[in-house]
Amino acid sequence: MHKLSRTNRDKLQQYVSITGASEKSALQALKASDWQIEAAFDVFYSQPQPKSNDPYSDMILAEGVSVLCSDLQVEPQDIVTLVLSWHMNAATACEFSREEFVGGLQALGVDSIGKLQEKLAFMRSELKDEQKFYDIYSFAFGWAKEKGQKSLALDTAIGMWQLLFAEKEWPLVNHWCDFLQDRHNKAISKDTWAQLLEFARTVNPMLSNYDAEGAWPYLIDEFVEYLYDKSVVDK
Amino acid sequence: MSFSQNREPITIEDGFKLIDAAVTKLTRIIEGKPEPPFLPEEYIGNYTIVYNMCIQKPPHDSSGPLYEKYGAILQAYDKLTILPSIMEKHDEYMLREVSRWWEINKIMVRWLSHFFYYLDRYYIARNGIPSLTVVGMTCFRDHVYEKVHFNVKQVVIALIHKEREGQQIDRALLKNVLDLFVQNGMGNMERYEKDFEDFFLTETNSYYSRKASSWIQEDSCPEYMIKAEESLKKEKERVSHYLHSDTEPKLVANVQTNLLVLVAKQLLEKENSGCSALLRDDKTDDLSRMYRLYHAIPEGLEPVAVAFRLHVTAEGNSLIKQAEDAATSGIVEEQVLVRKIIDLHDKYMAYVTDCFQNHTLFHKSLKEAFEIFCNKKVAGSSSAEMLATFCDNLFKKAANDKSNDDSTIESTIDNVVKLLDYISDKDLFAEFYRKKLARRLLFGKFSDDHERSILTKLKGQFGGQFTSKMEGMVTDMQLGKDQQTGFEEYLKNANTGKPKGIDFTVTVLTTGFWPSYKTSDLNLPLEMVNCIESFKAHYEIKTNHRRLMWIYSLGNCNLTARFDAKPIELIVSTYQAAVLCAFNHTERLTYQELIDQLNLSHEDLVRVLHSLSCAKYKFLKKEPASKTISKTDSFEFNSKFTDKMRRIKVPLPPVDDRKKVVEDVDKDRRYAIDASLVRIMKSRKVLPHQQLVSECVEQLSRMFKPDIKMIKKRIEDLITRDYLERDTENPNTFKYVA
Repeated sequence: MHKLSRTNRDKLQQYVSITGASEKSALQALKASDWQIEAAFDVFYSQPQPKSNDPYSDMILAEGVSVLCSDLQVEPQDIVTLVLSWHMNAATACEFSREEFVGGLQALGVDSIGKLQEKLAFMRSELKDEQKFYDIYSFAFGWAKEKGQKSLALDTAIGMWQLLFAEKEWPLVNHWCDFLQDRHNKAISKDTWAQLLEFARTVNPMLSNYDAEGAWPYLIDEFVEYLYDKSVVDK
Repeated sequence: MSFSQNREPITIEDGFKLIDAAVTKLTRIIEGKPEPPFLPEEYIGNYTIVYNMCIQKPPHDSSGPLYEKYGAILQAYDKLTILPSIMEKHDEYMLREVSRWWEINKIMVRWLSHFFYYLDRYYIARNGIPSLTVVGMTCFRDHVYEKVHFNVKQVVIALIHKEREGQQIDRALLKNVLDLFVQNGMGNMERYEKDFEDFFLTETNSYYSRKASSWIQEDSCPEYMIKAEESLKKEKERVSHYLHSDTEPKLVANVQTNLLVLVAKQLLEKENSGCSALLRDDKTDDLSRMYRLYHAIPEGLEPVAVAFRLHVTAEGNSLIKQAEDAATSGIVEEQVLVRKIIDLHDKYMAYVTDCFQNHTLFHKSLKEAFEIFCNKKVAGSSSAEMLATFCDNLFKKAANDKSNDDSTIESTIDNVVKLLDYISDKDLFAEFYRKKLARRLLFGKFSDDHERSILTKLKGQFGGQFTSKMEGMVTDMQLGKDQQTGFEEYLKNANTGKPKGIDFTVTVLTTGFWPSYKTSDLNLPLEMVNCIESFKAHYEIKTNHRRLMWIYSLGNCNLTARFDAKPIELIVSTYQAAVLCAFNHTERLTYQELIDQLNLSHEDLVRVLHSLSCAKYKFLKKEPASKTISKTDSFEFNSKFTDKMRRIKVPLPPVDDRKKVVEDVDKDRRYAIDASLVRIMKSRKVLPHQQLVSECVEQLSRMFKPDIKMIKKRIEDLITRDYLERDTENPNTFKYVA
């Protein structure tokens, strides 16, 4: 057997853990693509998979994702996974299809897990960019909701909001989450999700520039009422 | 006349001498001093002097100096004769002097102009200088008028004040004097306005301001208004007697402002005699006067209309409160209340048409007032429901009591339609009305004419969509009669399935027109089952593709109950009949057995059993004999029952579900809002939030007042369903998604 360099051995490990392929085919693929890991993935996925009828064989699922996370040395709930998913334009949380995964890596300009790890800092910084935060936030709704559902489950939504507004401060986020659990108890619509960001961006925490006659979703109007009721803000 | 051209030219000196002599004579004549009048030769002679002096060859052509002389004569006369005479007099005497000298001056100018006429023809025309008349008038103006007008004005105003206080004054004199002011304007009204009118108006202003203050304290509203009317009349007369007509509008406005506009609030709100009191006490004359006075003022009617509206609102609110207080145990006497509201409407509408001349402002005030209190709830009942109940009782009574005069019913119907206009939840009224109409129709308590009449009127006022279902219901009843005849024919001719001696009537209702009713799987007594089957057979022959749903809860039955003492006919509902018939086969039945046998719901069975064993007429004996039904009770036919009546009607109290009606209407409203929003967005494509909401409210206002929050929710729902989307640039604007 060829003696593998350390880097290549790492690459091999990663390849195997991510694709679930055997060491032998992994080696084949990597060699064929000259140890460029993304090209190797390309090769792997383009091979017909005669054995499995499993529609998920072309996907990285929850297990694969947690392996990926540990390889990257991040917690699965770390917001950077959201950013990564955004780059990949992933349809659903905790799942990557081949195209999504490869496409994402290409977009980031990386071809190895190591390089991906180096990009993490950059990805975190993207959250500080106003426009990118907006895009990531909007993306998050479709990504976090259940497949086939139109709305986002309340708990998931609250979790996402807590995560997102840790990056971009909004003083009223905790009141918002309390309010939802107290008074709403239903799923969140896409419109409400989108408009909440608008609300957080444009209306100041004292609500002095809140326009009651405006086109804010009903839930946000209710939230304002809640804030007055609880004397968080004076009318 | 011929003149010798070779005469000696007249020197200026000589000429002027002759002229002076003529002037002296003239002044004596016009001042009324004894002096023989000018002979025609003298007259012509004077003219000729001027003429000759003008046509003389230079250097003797004296047009210029003559022109100057003319002016000088008049100036001297003004300064030396006229002015001093005026100045030595005072007050009215001065006015007389002024008037006199003014006339004299006019004559003077006229005569002199005749003498110097030749100047007018050539010298003046050629040189574009003021004419003789103008010179004359200007002279007077500069040397007399300017000096005296101030004092004259003071005197005039003092006299006017005297007249206002009731004294007689010389009107003709004033007319002349004021005419003088006008004439001295020489073509425009400036002198009159600046030297007299402005002061006059200021004086008038303070005069009427003082009067207003004192009258408003002392007088009642009607008394004050009479005085105000008088004052206006007198001032207008004043204009016709001696003031210039231009002054009239300013004067009238002045008086109106002081007497009516500035004190409007105090006047109208006077306790015991103000607008409110007049309305209450039917003081039509005073109200008409009020209208007349304020109508003449631009925007003057507004405070009156406001007072009117406040009064009517207060009256309405007190009726509501009375009803609220009188409502015992949550039951409102809506008959009384609605009648009172109708009477209130008639009373105040009469004011609008008579005293207020049908003015739109008052129609509007009346409408606004009624809209306020007609939408209040009384003891939990909405006005929509109360009005529907009122109609229900009206028609039920009318159907029973044929002696009722049709025209009173008709006029009451008209009133109902008018009142409905003020109620914003018209769709709620329609729903309540429909439910009650159904009961009226099905239990036979209706008169076709009356029902049709109100529906026609409602349709006329609110559109066909409002009444279509109800009209369908009434038509069903008519068709039902024909259908029944057809059914009876069928029974006669058919061989099978003839119900054994049971008279059976079926009314077929078109679903959709009628309120929705629950069906039940009641197990009918066998005899009734046969009837049902035979009708089914008949109906299937007549029609295709129609499914019959039997609503036993609405039916009723005539049973003959053979009690020991005597048989009595019982008129009961189908449910009650089913329960009673169960005892045809068994003496005694437990609650459980009844449930099993009949397949009624617990709720229904309890109600039925209660009405048969615990109420006024106890056809069934209950064990134990408590006041309520429990599931362990057992029942027995009460053969010992008797009553002096041969026929007893046992009503089953209807389950009237106000909450359900409100829920149903809310649901319909949601659909209506959705439809309206989609309709608007489809045609406008892009629309900001505010406008969308206000257009939606307007579209729906004919039927109900939509809640803004509900509209917002529906908009969001439509976004979720991809009918609408927010504009990416401006989230306050919506776009239609094709």
